[in-house]
Amino acid sequence: MVVNDIEIMFGGQAGDGSLTTGDLIAGVFKRMGLEVYTYKDFPSRIRGGHTNYVIRASEHPNWGMADFVDCLVAFDLEAVEAHLDELRPGGFIIFDNSSEPIPDGVRRSDVTWYEVPLAKIAKSDLGLELVRNTISLGVLSALIGMDRSIVRELVSNAYKRKSEKVLDQNLRAIEAGEQYVERHFAEWPSGYALRAGADGDRLIMMGNDAIGYGALVAGCRFMAGYPITPATDVLEWMAKHVPRFGGIAVQAEDELSAINMVLGAAFTGVRAMTATSGPGQALMTEAIGLAGVLEIPVVVIECARTGPSTGMPTKTEQSNLNHLIFSGHGEIPRVVLAPGTVEDSFYLTVDAFNLAEKYQCPVFVLSEQALCQSKATLPSLDLSRTSVERGKLQTEPVVFGEYKRFAFTADGVSPRVIPGVEGGMHLAAGSEHNDAGVITESALNRRRMMDKRMGKMESMRDDLPKPIIHGDPQAEIAIFGYGSNRGPIGEALERLWQAGIAARFFEFRTLWPFPEAEVRAFVEGAVHVFVVENNYTGQLERLIRYVVGPLEHMHLVNKYDGRPFRPIEIIDPIEKYALLRVPMEVRR
Amino acid sequence: MAAVLTPKDFATATPSWWCPGCGDYGVLSALKAALADLGMQPKDVAFISGIGCSGKISGYLHSYAFHGVHGRALPVATAVKLANRDLTVIAAGGDGDGYAIGAGHFLHAVRRNPNITYIVMDNQTYGLTKGQSSPTSQTGYVTGTSPQGNPDAPINGLAVALAAGASFLARGFSAHPKQVVELTKAAIKHEGFSIVEVMSPCVTYNKINTYAWFKENIYYVNEAPDYDPGDRSHAFDILSREGKIPLGIIYQDSRATLESLSHLGTTPLAQLDIVSRSPAYAAMQEAYR
Repeated sequence: MVVNDIEIMFGGQAGDGSLTTGDLIAGVFKRMGLEVYTYKDFPSRIRGGHTNYVIRASEHPNWGMADFVDCLVAFDLEAVEAHLDELRPGGFIIFDNSSEPIPDGVRRSDVTWYEVPLAKIAKSDLGLELVRNTISLGVLSALIGMDRSIVRELVSNAYKRKSEKVLDQNLRAIEAGEQYVERHFAEWPSGYALRAGADGDRLIMMGNDAIGYGALVAGCRFMAGYPITPATDVLEWMAKHVPRFGGIAVQAEDELSAINMVLGAAFTGVRAMTATSGPGQALMTEAIGLAGVLEIPVVVIECARTGPSTGMPTKTEQSNLNHLIFSGHGEIPRVVLAPGTVEDSFYLTVDAFNLAEKYQCPVFVLSEQALCQSKATLPSLDLSRTSVERGKLQTEPVVFGEYKRFAFTADGVSPRVIPGVEGGMHLAAGSEHNDAGVITESALNRRRMMDKRMGKMESMRDDLPKPIIHGDPQAEIAIFGYGSNRGPIGEALERLWQAGIAARFFEFRTLWPFPEAEVRAFVEGAVHVFVVENNYTGQLERLIRYVVGPLEHMHLVNKYDGRPFRPIEIIDPIEKYALLRVPMEVRR
Repeated sequence: MAAVLTPKDFATATPSWWCPGCGDYGVLSALKAALADLGMQPKDVAFISGIGCSGKISGYLHSYAFHGVHGRALPVATAVKLANRDLTVIAAGGDGDGYAIGAGHFLHAVRRNPNITYIVMDNQTYGLTKGQSSPTSQTGYVTGTSPQGNPDAPINGLAVALAAGASFLARGFSAHPKQVVELTKAAIKHEGFSIVEVMSPCVTYNKINTYAWFKENIYYVNEAPDYDPGDRSHAFDILSREGKIPLGIIYQDSRATLESLSHLGTTPLAQLDIVSRSPAYAAMQEAYR
């Protein structure tokens, strides 16, 4: 019997409402005191096409999917066929058999089948086919023992904004689902149990919402963006909330405009950002170089998806790391931060704005579809941990002629005036310029200016977010990873430990400037080094080799099918390469 | 009270890189005179330029100047205005910057109607790269990239802008400084997106559209005493007619600005207190419980 650990997958056609129901289930689990992670696997179209929504609930936070799905809620045969092999032996299926039965030969005998004519009940008993999702929630709730009053409360909250009638239909749909289970099924799934605990001082939030919230708290009052999956949520979040704080979110005509608007607003003294994904990032590259040479603080949120070109727009990948670090003609100081959880998405976004303004350079926050569009439970965000540090912003009058916008300083950062400040008039030019901003091609000045700007990469070192070292720091097995892989790597670590195998895990939070000293210290004494990432070429693995040099017994554990890792996909190669035998029972 | 300034107060110490006789000198002089006439202070002027000979102008105007990447002056300028409405925001660039690489932004700036001024310095060629054809070059114009003559028709920037909903359109000739000063002043005073296209001859590469050629091929719309710049269809007619090039304020109307439609608060964004922690921040978490 597994208590308080279950992964549910809703599978059906895009646009059929399973996202709403999935969110409701996630909310119920959270209220029951469980830790929740959700993953959306949907097609790049509005209606139709197979979609699935995974909700994982567990006693301890996992921030990723399990090895298997415990319960598949299948609204059509396509969902069964697509996901039956992902179901854990002993798991169960809730199948809507309204329009077609399960054909012979499809059934697996090691899982339990609960066939319910969801659509038929919805249509005939409730008069609205759309509520079949809510009926499935009632079925699920009865089968696994969700708290019925919490289910009703959340359904009411979700539908009370609509009409009385819709609310009533949905509440009756819950009832109908529960009753169907009681009348038709003698046995409930035997392998699972839920025990409600206290919800506590927690939130449930999507990664992109945490980024928006972090930006707002960091004082961002200008956003410009162009809709692109999976980053659009950030623009929508800001458009909804920032006007209340006196700010503005602009939908630009393209990404070229968006990033140049961000530069304009930041030049004028407003904390400004954009959010985009790979294709937009590519278009923004030139202007990000301009931000580097103009020493303008800009924050760019990159919500990575599968490339190249259009790739798989709604699927996850970590193939833009090289782009963020190395793209652009010429050389500029830049920072790349990568949160591994929804919670850290908030805090690192705040850090990004402070770093950008203190060091007057572009700062990227790198997230991914499997993190930025996933929801997770997290402790209430601690606003006392946040502050706004404006660095060398100069708002008092200066003496014209004495003041030099690009003055050479020990740390490479010059006092920064903004338009309107008396005496601070200057030219901010993308052409090479001297300390006063005057364009010059002098060789001596060029060297000094490059040294000044690039020197900021060193002067910011102590200010950069530190990596988190998980596991046993003395272990022979060492793992590197970042972003959404923090979840499955963390879980793999735990399960290896339970099997008597120690490992250490370096979770990057700053990817650039590369934390060279920390990486060198971390790998001391390691026998096997694994780099876990979602791309083909091993961009992080190559980056480590590029900066630190080749490490002995370094293995790339990569995945590039657009889907996030499940823990077993990390445990297996570690076992294989490190020639260790992991007992079967740790596999889940 | 700030001192009354003269055009010289808007000059920088930077020597110009333009060729002797370049039309861009006239644009710069007119801009300095217009700002002085309007009683502006350099600290309150944000001047955004693109790339090309024209783009260099931002280095020669004493102001908060921004010399960005090719074709993107308008997004920068729009955001500067949104960020601080107290600033006078002027963007400038050439025909290549505005009508080729930046053409998309040009249309969208017209649509948005921010209260900024855009000066298009039109020399009908790419000067800085040594004389290739530009989006306003005449068909048949022979250059290094079009040795058999430019096959493309010239773009009619003002007519395009009018179709897109422009609220202020003017055209000047850089050899007529007094008129360019007046057009620039009217443009800056206009509440909305004001476009001043200045015919600015390239003495080095454009041997067709010369000062002498322009003198033969221009006229001022207000030579007709009953010219009404509020008449949109007449403005279309004037702009699309073959023959002499119309100068003056060709079209002007009143339309809500981007800033007025953006629900901005009374404090400019750049002056908001972001350091103090707003009590509203914590309350926002309730939606996620």
